[in-house]
Amino acid sequence: MAAFSTASVTPETAATPLSLPKPYRPSSAAFLRSLPRKFNRSPKTTSPSVFCTLTKQPMTSTEEEVILQRPDSFGRFGKFGGKYVPETLMYALSELEDAFKSLSADNEFQNELDGILRDYVGRETPLYFAERLTEHYRRPSGEGPHIYLKREDLNHTGAHKINNAIGQALLAKRLGKKRIIAETGAGQHGVATATVCARFGLECVIYMGAQDMERQALNVFRMRLLGAEVRPVHSGTATLKDATSEAIRDWVTNVESTHYILGSVAGPHPYPVMVREFHAVIGKETRKQALEKWGGKPDVLVACVGGGSNAMGLFDDFVDDKDVRLIGVEAAGFGIESGKHAATLTKGEVGVLHGAMSYLLQDEDGQIIEPHSISAGLDYPGVGPEHSFLKDIGRAEYFSVTDEEALEAFKRLSRLEGIIPALETSHAVAYLEKLCPTLPDGAKVVLNCSGRGDKDVQTAIKHLKL
Amino acid sequence: MIMASSPRNVFLQGGNTTEFSEPVLKLRRLSFSAPLGSPYIKAADRPRPRPRPHISCSAVTDKMPATVGGALDSNSLTARRLMTQTFIDQAELMTVSSTGKFGRFGGKFVPEALISCLSKLEAEFILALHDENFQEELATALRDYVGRESPLYFAKRLTDYYKNSEGKGPEIYLKREDLVHTGAHKINNAIAQAMLAKRIGRKRIVAATGAGQHGVATAAACAKLSLECTIFMGSADVGRQGANVLLIKNLGAQVKVVDGSFKDATSEAIRDWVGDLETSYFLSGTAVGPHPCPTIVREFQSVIGKETRKQAEEKWGGKPDVLVACVGSGSNALGMFHEFIRDEDVRLIGVEAAGIGLDSGAHSATLARGDVGVYHGSMSYLLQDEEGQIIGPHSIGVGLEYPGVSPELSFLKDTGRAEFYAVTDDEALDAYRRLCQLEGIFPALEASHALAYLEKLCPGLEDGAKVVVNCSGRGDKDAATVYKHNEGRV
Repeated sequence: MAAFSTASVTPETAATPLSLPKPYRPSSAAFLRSLPRKFNRSPKTTSPSVFCTLTKQPMTSTEEEVILQRPDSFGRFGKFGGKYVPETLMYALSELEDAFKSLSADNEFQNELDGILRDYVGRETPLYFAERLTEHYRRPSGEGPHIYLKREDLNHTGAHKINNAIGQALLAKRLGKKRIIAETGAGQHGVATATVCARFGLECVIYMGAQDMERQALNVFRMRLLGAEVRPVHSGTATLKDATSEAIRDWVTNVESTHYILGSVAGPHPYPVMVREFHAVIGKETRKQALEKWGGKPDVLVACVGGGSNAMGLFDDFVDDKDVRLIGVEAAGFGIESGKHAATLTKGEVGVLHGAMSYLLQDEDGQIIEPHSISAGLDYPGVGPEHSFLKDIGRAEYFSVTDEEALEAFKRLSRLEGIIPALETSHAVAYLEKLCPTLPDGAKVVLNCSGRGDKDVQTAIKHLKL
Repeated sequence: MIMASSPRNVFLQGGNTTEFSEPVLKLRRLSFSAPLGSPYIKAADRPRPRPRPHISCSAVTDKMPATVGGALDSNSLTARRLMTQTFIDQAELMTVSSTGKFGRFGGKFVPEALISCLSKLEAEFILALHDENFQEELATALRDYVGRESPLYFAKRLTDYYKNSEGKGPEIYLKREDLVHTGAHKINNAIAQAMLAKRIGRKRIVAATGAGQHGVATAAACAKLSLECTIFMGSADVGRQGANVLLIKNLGAQVKVVDGSFKDATSEAIRDWVGDLETSYFLSGTAVGPHPCPTIVREFQSVIGKETRKQAEEKWGGKPDVLVACVGSGSNALGMFHEFIRDEDVRLIGVEAAGIGLDSGAHSATLARGDVGVYHGSMSYLLQDEEGQIIGPHSIGVGLEYPGVSPELSFLKDTGRAEFYAVTDDEALDAYRRLCQLEGIFPALEASHALAYLEKLCPGLEDGAKVVVNCSGRGDKDAATVYKHNEGRV
C-alpha cells in the first residue's frame, strides 16, 4: 500500500457499524467505542479528527486569480498538488525547490541545458504538417482542419521523457548528488534515466515491478547495458505504483546522496512544476514554429495523458491564451464502463497519491484501482495535479479512447504518414476521429507525437493480426 | 535557365539535354575514350575500348597503368592530387559522363534493355537536382519529416576515455544520424528517391534490404507519398532482424522473402523491376549498382557531409581532421566523405567488417580482401573466389554484409585518398557496450565498427585533433542480438 495515499473520508457516506469489514466488525458496542475514531462510523459521531475539507471546497469563481498561481507557494494548483510526504522528505523537497528556483534564473545552467538538448537530445523537434492525415479528415466539401505533429518521437531515446530526465540529472549534479533513483513501468522512463546517468557518469538504480520486468526483459537489458542497476519490486501487484512506493522509500533512506528522478508531473511539490518546466520547451518551440509556419497560434492542442508530462509540456505555454483549446486524451482501456481503464480525469475521484492531491482511480474504501491500458505509459491510476486543476476550472477538456481505437490510430498514422507512433500517442491520434468533424475549415490542430512506436510493434501486430 | 556559378558547374539549359556549353563538350570528348588523369589527355584519340566479358578480363586484372602506378609513389603526390582533382571535376560534370566511371571502377554493366532506362533515370535525376521546387520540397521533407539537421555532438566522456596518461588526446564528435526518422541515414536517400519516383510518375517502388533499415526507410517514405511499396529481404536476414520486418509490414509495405541474404534479395528485386519497367522504380539504398545509382545515392546522402562542414565551422571554426565511417556498401561513408574529398588535410577512414577474422573466410572486408570484378552492374572490388564466384559475406552488423562495395570508394582506395581498415565482430560489440555506458547512446552494430576503430586510431592522433565519427544509425534493433550474444548477461 503506497505510503502516502489516504482516502477522502466523509461522514455522509458513513456506513452502519455492522457493515464494517472484518476484523473491525464489532462484537459489542463497547468494542465499537474502543476503536480509533475514524473506524467508528456511527452516524452520531462528529467528524473524525483526520478529515480533509479541501476536497470539498468549491473552486473560486474568479478565474484570473486562480490561473496566475500555477502553482502557489505551497505547491498547490487551486486545491490540488501540495506536499503530502513524511517529515523526513520535507527538507529534501525544500532543498530541491530552492535549487530549481535559483537554477531557473541561472544563465549558465540554462545555456548548458540548451546545449545538451540541442546536441544530445536533438532539439528542436520539427512541427510537421501531416498532409495525408489532413487529407484523410477533409470533408466532402473540401473543408477540414490542418493537422500538425510535434515530433517528440525524434528525440534521443524516442520519447519526450528525455527532456525532463536531462534537466533533473543536470540539477542533481549541481546539487552534488552522485546517485539517481527512478521508478519505471514499461521501462521507457527507466531507459531515459539510465541514459542520462550514463551521459553524466552518475550511479543509477531503477525500481521496476517484478511483473513488469518479466514483460519487458529487453528494456531491462537495455537499462543494464547503460550501466544502471535494475531492482525488482515484489510487493503489492508488482507493477508501477509499487515500484514508485519502493523508490520513495529508498529516497527517504538515502536523501543526502540521492536524487529521485520522477518521470511525470505527479508527486509532491516541487516535482509537478519542475517536470512541467523541463518539458515546457515543447510548447515554446511550438509557438515559435507556428508563427513561422502560418503566422499565428495553434487553434487546438491535443496530447495523450497518463501522468500528464507531455501534455503539460505542450499546453503550458498556451494556458493563458484563451483562444487555444487544450485537449487531453486518456486511456479508456476496455471501455469506461468496463472498470478496466486508466481514465483518471473521467472516472476518478479526488484523493492523495504519491504525495499530491489529485484525481485518482480509487474504490469506495479509498484503495487504488489497478488501471489497465494497452499502452504501459498511460497505465497510471493518478494524474498530475495541474491537469486536475485545469479540468476543474474548465480550461482544458479531457476525453478518453479505448485500446481498439488507439490500435486503429496506430495503424492509420503508420500507413498515412510513415510515422509509427507510440501506443500512448496513438490515443491522441485516435481522438482526431471525433474532433476533426467538429472543427471549422483551416483550423490548426497541433498534436503532440510524444513518442515513437518501435517498442509497440509486437503488441500492435498481435492485436491487429497483420 | 543555366545556373552556372563557376566553370566547374555546368548545368542543363531548360529541359533540353542535348545542349552543352563549350568547356563541357571539350571534356566530353576526353572522358569517353580516356581513363582518368592528365597524362592521358594525349590519348584522347585512342578508340573507345570494346565491351569485355565480366569474367577474367584484362580490364579487371590491369593494374593502373605504369605511369599512374608511378604517380602513386610518395614523390609523385602532385600527380595523385591532379588525378583526384580531375576525378572531382569529372564527377561534377557527370552530366556529360554517361559511363559513370570513377577511374576504372563503376560503369554500366547491364543488359541492353536497361541502358535506355538508366539514361532516362540519369536525365530525370539531373533535372530534379536543378529544379528549385523539387529542392525546396526535399529540404522541407528533410527538415520536418526526417528531422534534419542531425546534431554534431561532442562526446565528452568518450573523449576522456581516449585521453592518454598526460591527459592529451583527440576530440571525438559524433554525427548523430541515429536521431533521424526511422533511426538511420538510409532515410535521406529513400525520401529523396521516392520523391523523384513520384515526380517521374511511377506508382510502385521496389527495394531490397539487408538489415532492414533501408526497407523501413523506403516503406515510411512510400507511406508518406502514397506509393505502393514492395520490399525484398533475404530469409537469413528476416530471421535476424525480425523487428524491422514488423515495422515494414506495419507501414503498409509488402515484404517478399527471398532465399539467401541481401545480395540475393537485390538480384530478385532487380528482376522484379525489370519485369515492370514502366510503372516501377527500383529504389537503391546503397551506393552500388550501374550508373547512375551510385551517384544518385551519394548525392542524396551528401547532406551529411555538408551539414558536418557547416557545424564544424560553427563549433570550432575549422574543418574536421579525421572522418571515420563504417563501410558496408558505402552509402553513409560517401555521404560523409564526399564533401571533403577535395580537402587533402582531412583524413578519410572507412571501417569494414572483419567478421570472425580476416583470415577466417567469414567476413565482409571487401576492400581489404577483395579483387576487382563486376557485380550488380558495376565494376568494383568484391569478395570472389578463384572462379569468380561471389563469396557469402558475414558480419554481426547485418548492414555491412555485402560482398561488393561502392565503385567510388574503390577509386578512393586505389588513389590513396581514403584509408580502409577492418574490425571484428567482438571489437564491434565492445564498442557498442562502450558507447552505451559512456554516452548513453545505443549505436547500430554497423556504426559500432566505426567506433571500434577509434581504439587503434586515437593513440596515434595528436592532442586536440578533431575526429568526427558518423554514428550512422541507432542500435535499438540490435539489443536483441547483443542480448543473445551475451546470453542475457551484461
